[in-house]
Formats: sequence, C-alpha cells, structure tokens
Amino acid sequence: MSASIEIAGVSKIYDGGVRAVDAVAMDIRQGEFFSLLGPSGCGKTTTLRMIAGFEAPSAGAIRVDGTDITHLPAHKRDMGMVFQNYALFPHRSVQENVAFGLRMRRIDKATIAAKVKAALAMVELTGMEDRRPGQLSGGQQQRVALARAIVIEPRVLLCDEPLGALDKKLRQQMQFELKQLQKALGLTLVFVTHDQEEALAMSDRIAVMNGGRVEQIGTPVEIYDRPTTRFVADFIGDTNIFRGERAATTSGSGLAVGNGLVLTLPASVSAEATGVLSVALRPEKIRLTAAGQSPSACAHGQVESTNFLGGAVLYRIALTSGHRILAQQPNAGTSSLFAPGNLVALDWDPSDLVVLRD
Amino acid sequence: MSLAPAIRMNGLAFFILPSALLFALFFFLPIGLMAVMSLLTGNPVVAPNVAFTTRHYARIADDPYYFEVIWTTIRIGLWTTLAALAIGYPLAHWMARIKSRAGHALLLMAVLAPMLTGIVVRTFAWMALLSDKGVINQTLQSLGLVSQPLKLMYNETGIVIGLVHIYVPFMVLTLTGVIGRIDERLEQAAENLGASPLRTFLEVTLPLSLPGILAGSLLVFALAISAYVTPILLGGFQIMTLPILIYQQISANFNIGFAAALGMVLLLVSFVLVVAYNHVLGRVSGQRDLQ
Repeated sequence: MSASIEIAGVSKIYDGGVRAVDAVAMDIRQGEFFSLLGPSGCGKTTTLRMIAGFEAPSAGAIRVDGTDITHLPAHKRDMGMVFQNYALFPHRSVQENVAFGLRMRRIDKATIAAKVKAALAMVELTGMEDRRPGQLSGGQQQRVALARAIVIEPRVLLCDEPLGALDKKLRQQMQFELKQLQKALGLTLVFVTHDQEEALAMSDRIAVMNGGRVEQIGTPVEIYDRPTTRFVADFIGDTNIFRGERAATTSGSGLAVGNGLVLTLPASVSAEATGVLSVALRPEKIRLTAAGQSPSACAHGQVESTNFLGGAVLYRIALTSGHRILAQQPNAGTSSLFAPGNLVALDWDPSDLVVLRD
Repeated sequence: MSLAPAIRMNGLAFFILPSALLFALFFFLPIGLMAVMSLLTGNPVVAPNVAFTTRHYARIADDPYYFEVIWTTIRIGLWTTLAALAIGYPLAHWMARIKSRAGHALLLMAVLAPMLTGIVVRTFAWMALLSDKGVINQTLQSLGLVSQPLKLMYNETGIVIGLVHIYVPFMVLTLTGVIGRIDERLEQAAENLGASPLRTFLEVTLPLSLPGILAGSLLVFALAISAYVTPILLGGFQIMTLPILIYQQISANFNIGFAAALGMVLLLVSFVLVVAYNHVLGRVSGQRDLQ
C-alpha cells in the first residue's frame, strides 16, 4: 500500500519574493524512512506541507507512485500526518480522534470500532478511549496522533517534528517505537526534524536542507562520513574545517592551510587541480599521542581544554600552526587522558579528509 | 499560617473596589429600586400613601396584549440574532484567517465604521432606503420587478434590518477573537484525514467556535430586545415592543410602578433565555465549563 514520492524541481515563493523552497528535487522510495533535516527556516516544513497539500508549490511537480498530485486537494491525498503540536481535536475523545479519518472514508461502524481498537492497542493506549486530549500527557497525545494517522492505512506518513515536545528519555523511546512501527507496516515515512542525532538514528536516507535548497541526500553514514558541502559538514556533528591553497607535496597532492601546515589530500583527489579548497575532518578520526612518540605525525599542538563526555573525551587543541581543532578519543581509562597544557601529536588517515563544496 | 494568603488577598481586593462600587451604584442599586418600585402602588417620592401591591404583575398576566408585546420583542430579538450570526460568522472567519495585515485592517475598519455614526442617523438612513418611496422600492419598480412597493418598513422586517446593521459588529468582534484562537493545524489535520473543507468546518471549526457563537448571540439578543430608537423609527409605532411600552408608561401614563414591572419582565426574559441558551449550547458542544 505504501507509495513512492517524487519531488521534481519544487519551489515555493511567498508574496514579497521570499524563496522558502528553491528548486528542491528528491525521490523518496517506497517503504523508506526519509528525513528532511536542517535548521529552522531551511524549508523542510514547507516542503512537507507541500507534500501534504497544505501549500501549493509555485513551481515544479509532486508525484506519488508516478501520479501527479501537485494540485490535488489535501483531503484527497490519502496521507497520514503527525503534527508538531499533535493537532488533536480537543472537543473529541481519544477514540473519536482516531476514528475521524475512518469516518470520513464512510467505513461501517463495526469495522471502525475494530480498527480503532487495534490502532490504540498498537500504540499501547488501550483503556484511554474516552479521555479527552487535554487529559493526556505529552507522550500519550503523541501516540494518539500517531494512531490517528496510521489507522487510515495511508500511502505515506508525514511527521513534522513529532518528538520535539517530549523530554529526552521519552523521545528516545518514541524514536525507537516509531522506527519499529514504520518497519513493521512497511510505511513510506517522511520525517521533518532539526535534530541531527534523531535523523541519523532513525532514517534510511536524509536530505539535508539549507536556505530552501537541498545540500545533500544520502544515508546517515554518507551524510556523516562523506559530507559534500561545508554546510553539511558543519551542521552534522562536530567537525574541523580547513581551508587553503592546493600545493604539491612529496606524497601526492596537498593543501597549504597556513603557517606551514600542509595537509596531505586523499589519493582520490586529482593531483593536477589547483586553487582554493575546503576539507573537513571529524574529531573522532584524529588519533592523539603524547608529543615525541610519533615523529611522522600529521600535526602537533597543545591541549587547551578537556571535555569529559563519559564514553569519550573531547579535546580542544591549539596546533603549532595556530589552528584550533577538536579531537575526540574514546575513554580508554584515566591513564590515557591528556590534561590542558599537554603537548600532543595528532595523526589521521588522509582518506578521512573530506573535500567540501563551498 | 493560613492567615498570610488571606491578608494578601485583602490587599489585592482594594483594586477591585472602584469597579465594585461602580457596579453596585449603577447596576444593582437601580435594578433593586426597579424591583421595589414594581411592587409599590405609587411613587414614594411624590405620593404620601404608598403600599405594597402585586397588581402590576397581575395586570401583565391577565391581559394577552402584554404577552403579545413580550413575544414580539423576543421574536425580533431572535431574528436579529440569527441574521447577525448568519452575516457575522463568515465575516468573522474571514477576518480571523486573513493573512495580509492591510486586508485585516480594512476589514476591521469596515466592521467598525458603522459604529462611528449615531444610531438615529443610521436608522434614518435605513428609512430612506426602505420606505415605500425609498431607494430600494423605486429601483425595483423602475426595473419592473414589482408592481406594488414592498412593505419593508413599519413592520418587524424593517426593525430587524435596522437592528442587524447596528449589532453585527458586536457579533463579528466576539466571533473573530474565538475563531482566531482555533489552531489552523486542527483544520489541516481534519483535511489530511480526508475531510472535505465543508466537513472540516462542520466537524472542527464550528464546534470549536461555539463559545464565540454563544457569547456573540447572547450579546446581540440582549441588545436587540432592549433596543428602543430603532424599533420606534423603523416600526413607526405600528410594532409594540417592551422597551417602547415601558417608555410610554413612564412618559405618557406616568405609571412608574407598571413600567418597573414591565422592566422586571424584560430582565427575566433575558435571564431565562441566557440560562437556557447556555445550557443547550453547553450540552451540544460538550463543554461543561460553559454552564
């Protein structure tokens, strides 16, 4: 029953010329957990609202299973949606909220009752049928909203920051449950979030958006390990970004980033190219050793601050070249910790440097 | 221990004092006096021998004419409320949901503009439109749509038209506040679940705006049944309503006791209808806190 969605060159230009969404193109596959990730105002919610039919695109087309639905009214799209504030009907009971979509489809009462019961059981809300939304906790309201959206067996489930209002523990539990449910039902799910950890943990693929445009589409691993733009590298997780002029080195092509520091570029980068380039290096790809033990180190520096994260330690290090970078080490015991002021050598695999588009 | 909050409450209570005094002086005192007067044989200020009596109420109860007047007053009130609601609701919905600030300002001005002119002036303007030789009848006749002028004035239709024009702003302003507070995402959720725009309105917007419908209707009804100028001018003394009758009893018959009794009846009618309406709508919308 699940469907694929094709978003072809969709733009949304508001009165006054603001381009909320700018020529966005993405193919969302059947049964896929697809996240739209970006900071507020990046156009992710507007994109979702255009898929739902609450806003009309200024240009481009939206197709579901190959059928153009760009101008189909929202109530004929057969999509479930979970709103950021849940948007439960306050004047109706939990049962009536969940039954609403089925009632609109003119299904007979016995079937509705059975389906509502099953949906409420699925989200573990059996026994809450007659409560009003105002009498439920945030997590329970969230489950009602989810039950209301999936009980109509939609072709697509749309979620607009559905977990945003929950505290961290409940949020992680709901992430897990939502993912389980999506898998079990084989739902095509489009998930809007500004929380990168949430997107990385749940998605099959992520579209990172910025300023109304899609910066990169890829699996969580691709997005994290192989960001293609400076924005993506910066937005997802902690990262060190170096910018410099291309320079030849003994071992291949390099990048002079200033004050004598020359980074060896990955072998995949063509040696002939010249000009200015940005590269990203994740903090956890850096290996730290005490100064002097690794003479062939990529760089040297001094620990400025130590941030103990529990499972890992995050160091802020001032390189001898003047660059300040982050390096993260697994917590391998107190004996291996560095203190502020320690001199350290930094090592990394050149293939961990990711070349970015600006 | 429990004294501290009580003292704080008393301190704050001083701020309510001016409005409480005002309310007592100009609301409860006059109504109390009116209630007393309705039970007296004459005016105690000018007449030496006054006694308590129920004869004013007996007179109202015995004569079907007064029932007719009361029923006419209520009928005019109901029609005015219904018409104001029918005209005011779409306008209020439009105003509550319009995106452009300029559009909102224009609508608000259009709604408020009639309130800047006196009721008498506006009523005379309606007379110029509605009379047998008025703009509407002349136009209809010259177009050959009617042979005889339509009776638009000196009847209840004329009074209702005039009252609706005056009281629609009260309805619109009350409704706009309530409709504006309904989260649009609730309507979107309904559409997303397959409800057509009409179903969405009936299932979500309308029930959630019931408190506004209730408040606006009560306001307009109360104002309409106590209206005096418009029923006189547009009814031309052909239609007798309670406020006109009360005024006649005071100014022409100098029967203050009977006028007071009629006033109490008007008050009672409003009160009973307010309670009944509240109860019914509260039950329909399932919002018990309205009662």
